[in-house]
Amino acid sequence: MRINPVLQKDLKTKLRGWRAPVLISCYIVLLAIVLILYFAGSDMLSFYNVSGFNPRLAVNAYNILTVFQFALLFIAVPAITATSISGERERQTLDLMLVTKTPPRKIIIGKIVISIAHTMLLLISSMPVLGVVFFFGGIGVADIAKLLLFYIFTAFFVASSGVFFSTLFRRNITAIITTYLFLGFITFGPFILFLIHMYIKETTTAIAYSLSYAEILGILFPSPVFGFTSFYFSAASDYYGYGYDLWGSVAMYIDGYIAQETGILRLLKPWIANGLFSIIASILLILLSAAILNPIKRKR
Amino acid sequence: MVVVENLTKKFKGTLAVDRLNMEIPEGEIYGFVGANGAGKTTTMRIIAGLLAPTSGRVLIDGIDVSKEPLKVKERMGYMPDFFGVYDDLKVSEYMAFYAGLQGIYGAKCIELTHSLLELVRLTHKKDAYVDTLSRGMKQRLCLARSLIHDPEFLILDEPASGLDPRARVEMKEILKELRSMGKTVLISSHILPELSELCTSIGIIDAGRLVASGSVANITEKLSQSGLIKIKVAEKEEEAVKILMEMPEIAELSSVAGVLEVKVNGGEDVYVRILKTLVGNEIPVVSFHPEESSLEAVFMKLTEGGDQNEN
Repeated sequence: MRINPVLQKDLKTKLRGWRAPVLISCYIVLLAIVLILYFAGSDMLSFYNVSGFNPRLAVNAYNILTVFQFALLFIAVPAITATSISGERERQTLDLMLVTKTPPRKIIIGKIVISIAHTMLLLISSMPVLGVVFFFGGIGVADIAKLLLFYIFTAFFVASSGVFFSTLFRRNITAIITTYLFLGFITFGPFILFLIHMYIKETTTAIAYSLSYAEILGILFPSPVFGFTSFYFSAASDYYGYGYDLWGSVAMYIDGYIAQETGILRLLKPWIANGLFSIIASILLILLSAAILNPIKRKR
Repeated sequence: MVVVENLTKKFKGTLAVDRLNMEIPEGEIYGFVGANGAGKTTTMRIIAGLLAPTSGRVLIDGIDVSKEPLKVKERMGYMPDFFGVYDDLKVSEYMAFYAGLQGIYGAKCIELTHSLLELVRLTHKKDAYVDTLSRGMKQRLCLARSLIHDPEFLILDEPASGLDPRARVEMKEILKELRSMGKTVLISSHILPELSELCTSIGIIDAGRLVASGSVANITEKLSQSGLIKIKVAEKEEEAVKILMEMPEIAELSSVAGVLEVKVNGGEDVYVRILKTLVGNEIPVVSFHPEESSLEAVFMKLTEGGDQNEN
């Protein structure tokens, strides 16, 4: 099997030299600092700690790290992909690729895979830090494997969006801004829509309105944050003396409706529903990007 | 064989290429000449499959570029007028990247890279980073890149632009080697004398239209039908002027520092008649010098209308 030449070239150039290892090391150190500060802030590392070991702190630390990584995925992947095609255009190297017999679709896929590979490298290399929570129990290897899978789905979608806007717009800056706006809309738009839906239902229904998981799923499925709630260990995390945990409440709220669901939808957990959406939307975005990139189909 | 049929390209109301027809037989080095904005690059980009035509079509070995672009790309190499390079790649890696895009890997890729770097005289730079190369070297590297899949047909858009005289000569030598390899080449340039030396035929494009096409000799011959002759007489200048003015083939006549500059309508037969008439009337002709039409002069003449239109 031949490696996609676009992927091979980018892997070679981006991982060569001192920059890549330094970046990865910095990221891991940053993550470790976040973890240490969290434990320090919770008196866990204090010599005078009299309350003893609290396993909930480890789970909360896990939550913080996963949210941190999830946010990183949304910040880093578009930054790489939103300039992938427009950058080639600005550098005047795109035409040189398009005159080869490699079809535009393959160029697009190469660009997407490289950004996912970079992000995965960061995420996987940070696993030992995340693995600290194993010492405390409550979170298994399967949970982390599922989380990684969800990260891959999300990275795939975020990368496809970035490449799509990079193909659509000629300038890097326009592509970057549009990608972030689009991802913001996809992430938070469904929640706003959900709140509007709830408001309308509650004001127009005479008897007490009862919400179903199908409704939640039907509106929130495109949002990666909705999918991410599956990995947020929400139990008892609402109030723990550290302020109000918004995502903990959201996750608990959704978990409650899943528990009430008796049909087949019970199996369609938020992360699976959103993962499926990510895959289908990514394939569509790739096909659209390839069509736009095809010089013969392009108007100019 | 490359056939361009009724090619038209419009950009937001601007007609860049206007019903252009052109044929480049196999093994031909076809020079594409035109002023800036005449439509050379647009035509070349359409032929390369980088731009869709508004109407018309391009056939390469009978394959329509718009319908089967990937098949055409296997047979065609393209070097644009402006291009970028990946500064963080070494020369050999740069070649390997484009070889991969053309589906060439492993030993064949190494072998091709070696022979092409030799052709463009960059073997000694194979481990150097591309950003350390000079402009001329980058141009040569780009030419080698366009040859990586051994295409039968090459499109070279201003390959010598921006190069110093030495680099130009080097580029010209490489192009001569390509000619000897039997490649069909479409090359555009502003350096007209270079083209006339290198090309087997030329096409002159003006305001999107092909105003002349054929072998260099044919075009200059056709246009020399209205040439300039410089005649120097030892004496009887006034009489010579009178005789010449009576001849219907003479379009214009002026005397500059004792030399008669005669613009004539007609080819070599007219030149012979003029000389015969002068000698027959006992005019002592010291020299009789028909100005040779250079490609440059032909180009200026053919694009006169376009320039006027632009102004």
